[in-house]
Amino acid sequence: MADPASTPLGKMLLEEITPVVMVLCTPYVEESCLKNGLSLIQLLSPFCDFTNIDVPVRTASDQPYRLRKFKLRLFYSSDIRQPNLEVAKERLKKVITHVGEKNFLESSDPSQVNNLLSRPESEMLPSWFQFFNKELVRTLSFSDHEAFDHPVACLLVVSSKDDEPVNRFVDLFNTNKLPSLLNDGAMDPKIMKHYLLLHDNQDGPFNKLTLVEAGEAQFQANLVSIHAIQDFLICSAWSRDSVDNIINKKEAKDLYRATKLLADMRNAFGQNDCQIICFNSSQDGKIHHQDNPWAPFKSDALPTENLGCFLNLDDLNEIKDFMQELSSKHIIPYMEQKIRVLNQQVSATRKGFRNQIKNLWWRKGKEDTIDTPNGPVYTFNSIESQIRILGDYAFMLGDYELALSNYRLISTDYKLDKAWKRYAGVQEMMGLTYFLLDQSRKDAEYCMENAFNTYLKLGSAGRRNATRCGLWWAEMLKTRDQLKEAATVYFRICGEDTLHSAVMLEQASFCYLLSKPPMLHKYGFHLVLSGDHYKKCDQIKHAIRTYRSAIPVYKGTTWSLIKDHVHFHIGQWYALLGMYDVAVTHMLEVLASTHQSKTTQELFLRDFLQIVQKTGKTFEVLKLQLPVINISSLKVIFEDQRTNASAAAASVKESLWRSLEEDMIPSSTARSNWLELQSKIMPRKYKESNICVAGDANSSNNEVQNNEDRTSTSSGDINSCLILSEVDFSLEGGETTVVQLTVTPRIEGILKIVGVKWKLSSAVVGLCNFEFNPVNKKVVRGRRKQHSPCSDLKFLVIKSLPRLEGFIHSLPEKTYAGDLRPLVLELSNQSKFPVKNLKMKISNPRFLYAGNQKELNADFPACLKKKMNVEKSGRHANVNKTLQNLYHFPEDISVQEETSLSWPLWFHAAVPGNIPLYITIYYEMEGVSSIMKYRTLRMHYNLQVLPSLDVSFQLSTRPSRSQEFLLRMDVVNKTSSECFQVHQLSSVGQQWEISLLQPVDSILPSQSSFAGQSFSCFFMLKDRRRSSTSEDSIPSLSHIQSDVRLGPQDNSEAFFDVSSSPLADFHDCERSSQGMSSQVVNFLALTFFICITINQNLAHAFAFIFFLYQGCEYKVDFVFITQLPKGNSDSSSNTPLVFSHHACDCSPSSMSPISWLVDGPRTIQHNFSAPLCEVNLKMTITNSSDAIASVHINTFDSPSSNNKPIDDATTSQPPEHQSGWSEIPIVNDTKIITTEALTTRVPKSLSLESVPQFIWSGTSSTKLVLQPRSTAEIPLQICVFTPGIYDLSNYVLNWNLTPVNDGENQGEANKSSGVCQGYPYYLSVLESNFKD
Amino acid sequence: MTTAACFIIASRSDIPIYEAEVGSAAKREDAAQLPQFILQAALDIVQDLAWTTSAMILKTIDKFNDLVVSVYVTDDHILNIDDGIKSFFQEVHELYIKSLLNPLYLPGSRITSSHFDTKVGALARNFFCSRTQYRA
Repeated sequence: MADPASTPLGKMLLEEITPVVMVLCTPYVEESCLKNGLSLIQLLSPFCDFTNIDVPVRTASDQPYRLRKFKLRLFYSSDIRQPNLEVAKERLKKVITHVGEKNFLESSDPSQVNNLLSRPESEMLPSWFQFFNKELVRTLSFSDHEAFDHPVACLLVVSSKDDEPVNRFVDLFNTNKLPSLLNDGAMDPKIMKHYLLLHDNQDGPFNKLTLVEAGEAQFQANLVSIHAIQDFLICSAWSRDSVDNIINKKEAKDLYRATKLLADMRNAFGQNDCQIICFNSSQDGKIHHQDNPWAPFKSDALPTENLGCFLNLDDLNEIKDFMQELSSKHIIPYMEQKIRVLNQQVSATRKGFRNQIKNLWWRKGKEDTIDTPNGPVYTFNSIESQIRILGDYAFMLGDYELALSNYRLISTDYKLDKAWKRYAGVQEMMGLTYFLLDQSRKDAEYCMENAFNTYLKLGSAGRRNATRCGLWWAEMLKTRDQLKEAATVYFRICGEDTLHSAVMLEQASFCYLLSKPPMLHKYGFHLVLSGDHYKKCDQIKHAIRTYRSAIPVYKGTTWSLIKDHVHFHIGQWYALLGMYDVAVTHMLEVLASTHQSKTTQELFLRDFLQIVQKTGKTFEVLKLQLPVINISSLKVIFEDQRTNASAAAASVKESLWRSLEEDMIPSSTARSNWLELQSKIMPRKYKESNICVAGDANSSNNEVQNNEDRTSTSSGDINSCLILSEVDFSLEGGETTVVQLTVTPRIEGILKIVGVKWKLSSAVVGLCNFEFNPVNKKVVRGRRKQHSPCSDLKFLVIKSLPRLEGFIHSLPEKTYAGDLRPLVLELSNQSKFPVKNLKMKISNPRFLYAGNQKELNADFPACLKKKMNVEKSGRHANVNKTLQNLYHFPEDISVQEETSLSWPLWFHAAVPGNIPLYITIYYEMEGVSSIMKYRTLRMHYNLQVLPSLDVSFQLSTRPSRSQEFLLRMDVVNKTSSECFQVHQLSSVGQQWEISLLQPVDSILPSQSSFAGQSFSCFFMLKDRRRSSTSEDSIPSLSHIQSDVRLGPQDNSEAFFDVSSSPLADFHDCERSSQGMSSQVVNFLALTFFICITINQNLAHAFAFIFFLYQGCEYKVDFVFITQLPKGNSDSSSNTPLVFSHHACDCSPSSMSPISWLVDGPRTIQHNFSAPLCEVNLKMTITNSSDAIASVHINTFDSPSSNNKPIDDATTSQPPEHQSGWSEIPIVNDTKIITTEALTTRVPKSLSLESVPQFIWSGTSSTKLVLQPRSTAEIPLQICVFTPGIYDLSNYVLNWNLTPVNDGENQGEANKSSGVCQGYPYYLSVLESNFKD
Repeated sequence: MTTAACFIIASRSDIPIYEAEVGSAAKREDAAQLPQFILQAALDIVQDLAWTTSAMILKTIDKFNDLVVSVYVTDDHILNIDDGIKSFFQEVHELYIKSLLNPLYLPGSRITSSHFDTKVGALARNFFCSRTQYRA
């Protein structure tokens, strides 16, 4: 290790622990000094530090050594006391504040930790720490338990201007005015005195040499007359002139006086202790000193102030010599002397075995004495004080061995006396002495720690001493590269005074930074702690500085709370200083994080907004992360040749539209021509950019997510070429919303979407540049080419083109299946150019269909009614138009400028479900733009179609008459509340005659179907073609009943015409959508509103009769349409709603060749007190095929096994299914529907008592063989035990066909065997009580 | 007196991959970042010690006022920092290894499993409920 004295601590000690000289002076002296802008002490101070004084000294044991470095500390007697705590604190605060201001302005933050470390150590460590530490140590000077601050000597200074200087000298050393240290017995009042007479040459110039010589002469001659001086001067070979000069002048008096004074002084105070100095020799006071020696001692001097302006070089030398002489000839010898004396005394009383024993014994005896907090009071002449003085003097003279031995000696004494403060002080000095001796590091540290802890034990009294001790200790550790330990010591110093703690913590942080390897985490942490302390003392600039230094440490880490804390506080503090712009940048760092709790977020945001508001202006912040903008959700919706009627249409997939428009827009070759054309027109670099039309709005959707809870506003600005939209919205915490902004270019050119700008709480403007994250960009309707992301946001604006706007009036959002109504499509052209060649394509022609222009104002539903004279109006005219769903508007139709066109549409809710409807309208503009010849208008609607009536048809042939069919229609009302009115049933085509089997009134007395109801009705269907061939009579059209009225029979209302548009057209659509190719026979059943109560329905239990199958194929289509009476639905229109339900290709061909009929009583009354109730039934089985059939009838008693299909149907269909949503395919599967329609009702009506069921009695299995086209009867019997209603369907028919001859009936051969489930047969068994 | 502990698992590059506040102490809003500061600062010492000792449990390696920091160093030098009992560390280590075994877990990324969270919470309650010291 280097010489301890040259280390920072060593230097500090050599400066701070040095002899003190008490200075006493008269006001005149001060006055003379102040002419130079300096006080007396300031004037002398530069000359008190001797780097190479080279004085020979002998140790107490007569070992000679030479003292090299020496320093005197000068203090006015008034300052020799313990400094006022408050004043000292105030001064330290000033120091810190001053430094804070200075550093704050010039601070530059290293952005990286590496940069931080790469700087040299001296640069890293702020220099003001040293200064502060020194000041802090100085606040503890002149304590009573230490002797090194006790004045060693006293310098008395009197001006030559003073009256009676000798007396003044005596007065100055007046015990009343002396510091308390000397008076209260803490130190010896008899100290060495030195007398100085100061002459200000400004008051009268005289030569000092002359004066001295004269003085000496005077002494020798013992003369007091002026003549004597004159003679003496002449004798001394001085020129006559100068002597005359002196004598002749008035000032000669002064000379004389001075001479006399010196003589008096020497008489009074001793030959060697008196001196005279003349200064202020410069006449004009304009001397300028190159490196001003006083600068370090007067830090608050103004730069303009010329310190020492009256002092010329001679004066300086004179002062210097004086100080050197004072040190080397007086003070050092005096101290040396004192050390000897004290050492002898100590040796006599304390050294040696005997003395030690005595001492121990004596101290032990003192144990009973009162234990005062500071231990016993030691006066200067107590042996303890003397040992301490001896130690301190030896320390100051560099005789560390002696000092150490004395400290050790006294330390034990103090310990025994429990004088803890003194003990700690001695321990502290021991530690320092060890350090300077560079011996035993452990001892040094142990002593320091001991001292530190002892001071701390004293509580507040020792707190500041502990601080000083800690500072020295830390310095010591730092010198020895134990930086980590030093940091710990600094940390321990932190005490009550937060300001000092702050500085200490900051010093600790630097220790961590400088340690090897650097402990950056600790560095950051302590900086932050320090910052907090600074803040507590209102040292905001320091606080900001420390926090900012900590930023690089935490940069890039994921310790989120820390980062938030740091940035938030920096922001807050900058705001306190009024530097709002910087504050905002720091606050922004905090806002984006999502992990904070809600309260923290609120706090952060509130402060942030406050700061922003205080700035009084709006900020444009590029990185504002509030709210979060989901760039990947960015969609630019623009229109080139494709235009959208609504936002909903824009969100539909491009591919969907493209497939829809495929055969409508000009072919691909035309398109490539169009592209070529475009590339010729446009500069190459814009070739890939998108096209938009001036006047058309481009909108971009941004998904905005809010992590905070605060209102935010989005806005755009307006200039002459563009119209930008502005959207106001507020977001709750965690809410996400999509914002649509539009831009409407006004002139031709290039439009580039750069970014989005928004205003947060009308204070902060956020900017988000879309170009920054090009990866996730997505332009929804970009062209087929792969674009670079940039070009996706670039648009070529071409000149304004016509743009049709389309709207379908009163298209219901929600309706019931079967709804049939007219709608009006309105196309309006706002531009100045007409458009023509309109074409329309509808994605789902089952639902929407373009009508005839003349239908536009037709009366609905009257227009659907049959007109007597126009039977076949335009029904087939539409067929061509509907080809491939493409509708060509008539050639002469065009939409003129600034007009609108209305066109009728027919709407039919074909199937229930959520139905999207896409409509695209193609139109051409003429001569407007060479780039764009045509445009398309895309419309999109979503329909919700609820199920209404389930209609199923079952057709069976009558065995007797082949041209007659029995038609059964089952209707289930699946709505929850609607009541449909029955109107009519019609068959499609002219060849069918339909008639009711039974009057409607018997089935539906009210002619309407209530919610949840089901009913069946039967019709007779006649094939008129067959009948005509057989009966040879062609009935006139007028009386052919292809329609049947099911409504009130007296209603004279006309039938709906099913053979004309739109019903016929929709029926065609249904057919094609249901997969029917060409129709053999067409039925159209128009349904009506039927109403039966459930009970009624049960009362009319019925049987199915299956007639012989004739082998002739008839296919029937069924469609089911329903209608709501006026005002019954939620629709606003007053016209009744018509519903049509279509069913196609129903045929009897799906029947099995085996049909059967169960016949027997329907209702039985039985007295159950009798043992059994037997019911006899008859089953008639018919084989309708041309093959021999073997039939096997199995009956089951257990309802669980054979009733399974029914059970399943029941459970899967909850009773409230009619309000449910599932689409039940009604087409072609009429049998299942029928079963369902019945079985779902059955559980409701059947009582629970029917659960025990019944048993089949007789044979459980019957087998019989049926000849072709024959009928057989089988008797059946059941036993019933309790009254109830029974479903006798738990049997199965297995049949097997054996063909008679293979050549015929190929179709039959396919179906050689099958299983038939029994159909429901309800039997009511009643208890007959009255019969006995 | 409050009973609370902050438990953080930090990955090799000093990134906290799991954080939990356990114990019954009412969380002070103003000092929410303090445990993080303390634990992060303690990493310095851990980094020193981790390579010099073979012990996995380093008790009371750092102090801040009355808050004590203990560390459990796992084999792959991912550090769990907390004050606590050996067994607590061992239990949590077991949990941690289990979560490491998850093929979808990328070592070094944040542990977000709620299962892990509840388990740690339960363990902490077992071990710290009787203690009456605020610690980090």
